[in-house]
Amino acid sequence: MSVVPASYPSTRWRRAKVGLFRAFTILALAFVIGPALWIIGGVVVKAVPGWRWNVLTTLSQGTSGGLENAIVGTLLLMLGVTVVAGSIGILTGIYLAEIAPPTRRGRSSGAVVRVVIDVLSGFPSIVLGYVGYVALVVGLHWGYSFLPAVLILSLMVIPYIAKATESALHQVPTSYREGAEALGMSLGYGLRKVVVRSALPGIVTGLLLALAIAGGETAPLLYTAGASNTLPSIAPLHHPVAYLTYYVWTDWNQPMASAHVVSYDASLILIVMVLTLLVVSRVIVARTQRHSESAR
Amino acid sequence: MDEVTRQKATPNEVDRALAHLDPDAGRPSNVVDVRNLSLHFGAKTVISDVTIPFERGTITALIGPTGSGKSTFLRTLNRMNDRVVGFRHEGEVLLDDESIWSSSQDLLTLRRRVGMLFQRPNPFPMSIKDNVVAGVKAHGIAKGRELDVVAETRLREVGLWNAVKDRLNDSPYRLSGGQQQLLCLARALAVGPEVLLLDEPTSALDPLSTEAVENLLRTLVPALTLIVVTHNLGQARRISDRTMFFYEGRLVEHGPTPALFESPRDPDTARYVNGLMG
Ligand SMILES: Nc1ncnc2c1ncn2[C@@H]1O[C@H](COP(=O)(O)OP(=O)(O)O)[C@@H](O)[C@H]1O
Ligand SMILES: [Mg+2]
Repeated sequence: MSVVPASYPSTRWRRAKVGLFRAFTILALAFVIGPALWIIGGVVVKAVPGWRWNVLTTLSQGTSGGLENAIVGTLLLMLGVTVVAGSIGILTGIYLAEIAPPTRRGRSSGAVVRVVIDVLSGFPSIVLGYVGYVALVVGLHWGYSFLPAVLILSLMVIPYIAKATESALHQVPTSYREGAEALGMSLGYGLRKVVVRSALPGIVTGLLLALAIAGGETAPLLYTAGASNTLPSIAPLHHPVAYLTYYVWTDWNQPMASAHVVSYDASLILIVMVLTLLVVSRVIVARTQRHSESAR
Repeated sequence: MDEVTRQKATPNEVDRALAHLDPDAGRPSNVVDVRNLSLHFGAKTVISDVTIPFERGTITALIGPTGSGKSTFLRTLNRMNDRVVGFRHEGEVLLDDESIWSSSQDLLTLRRRVGMLFQRPNPFPMSIKDNVVAGVKAHGIAKGRELDVVAETRLREVGLWNAVKDRLNDSPYRLSGGQQQLLCLARALAVGPEVLLLDEPTSALDPLSTEAVENLLRTLVPALTLIVVTHNLGQARRISDRTMFFYEGRLVEHGPTPALFESPRDPDTARYVNGLMG
């Protein structure tokens, strides 16, 4: 006679719970992936049949023509945001995680900075755009141009980068910091060579998210970059800059089918740009992380 | 130099001549001298009034139950506690007769002279070779091709060279725990420390790795001075010249290792070394 029942009721219940939990996670995943695939698929289906390669090499004529000016413009804006928001955001994150002097309770004292960041990330982008318009475009007489656009986009995404950097640094084991300290490395040197380096995947992910957001923004750019059918000027002020989302948005609102083609082309190019960015940065991160503990 | 002048050499000149042969000549025989040291975290006193010299070229074991303040004491010697919130000290720690807290003492140089090895191996997320030379690069001790030489020398010194010579550019995390700890030791030795602080350096290792590390530590004296916290009483007996017994923040007893273990004077020491406590 067996003393042990074939299956405890509790075991069955636990299995059911695990199954339920798994079902929910899959549902959540589908909720995220579904719309993303649907959008990408929709854009590809609409854009690819009418695709002309010279879109990449000819200038826009508003509702027709190519998108060369917008591609160059968006790339330049992203580059500008990488430089401005990237450096300020990453430095802010490093300050919050590593340098802000701890309070008596052992917590970091960057509270003020953190509140500012939270408030900043709470602003709707169109409000930031309007602030940029009033303060920079009109107030400083910069006109619709590259610099106000980069500054406002940067202001918008700095919170993402700072927070991603801070949390990535919090994941770095204390033993790395202690090891660096005990070897007589200065705080800055240890941060650069040991700590920040192992936080790089998280930092880069934050930067990427920020770039994707910046590249996909329309409202703040309408207020700051203006619109242009020519290639961006070298001058950072007084010259409007073209960008892909402008054509996605304005040409979609036109009645002609030719304009819709431009809108879909601009969308497709934007998606390809973001995906390329993703892949390239993953490769770079993988290379720098080949000695990391998780990569063993 | 002829016979006459050699006979006329003054004691001073003899000292100077000898100084070339013995790098420690003319230096105080106690490399680290702790005087009336008390340590606090906020209102809590962790170490009270400890006075103890550490003789150059010896191994001292620090033993005592968990929470008795051994790590705090050890980490104070290279000022790793300075940045800890609420940490305060009274008394002095002299390194070669100079206070480690004196304003002329450069913190980074102090840490180069007084190195540290931790309980858990903590190689950096970089290649094996870069790990060995990390401190060397930071202090600008060597660069370029010299770094390869430094890496090989130190890896040989800790007996790791043959195991890793074909994978110097690999991740250190593929090494066994014991090998990782040896790598950290090589990294610490590479900056040429005079004193090495070790906080339970083998407690995360298997017996064979422990033996390898212990044997290695014996080869480091008398060139270096080692101060080792250990929970392993057998280890204290095997490797140390002197032993200090800490209990509840006080240095209860210290002396030559065999004496402390075989004829402890204090009843608490006796209970601890006989395994009747903590
Ligand atoms: N950073 C700290 N802040 C407050 N108390 C601490 C800190 N570090 C250690 N302590 C306290 O100091 C005492 C001694 O700890 P420790 O030196 O780690 O002992 P041991 O190494 O002998 O086990 C313990 O009671 C511990 O809680
Ligand atoms: Mg300890």
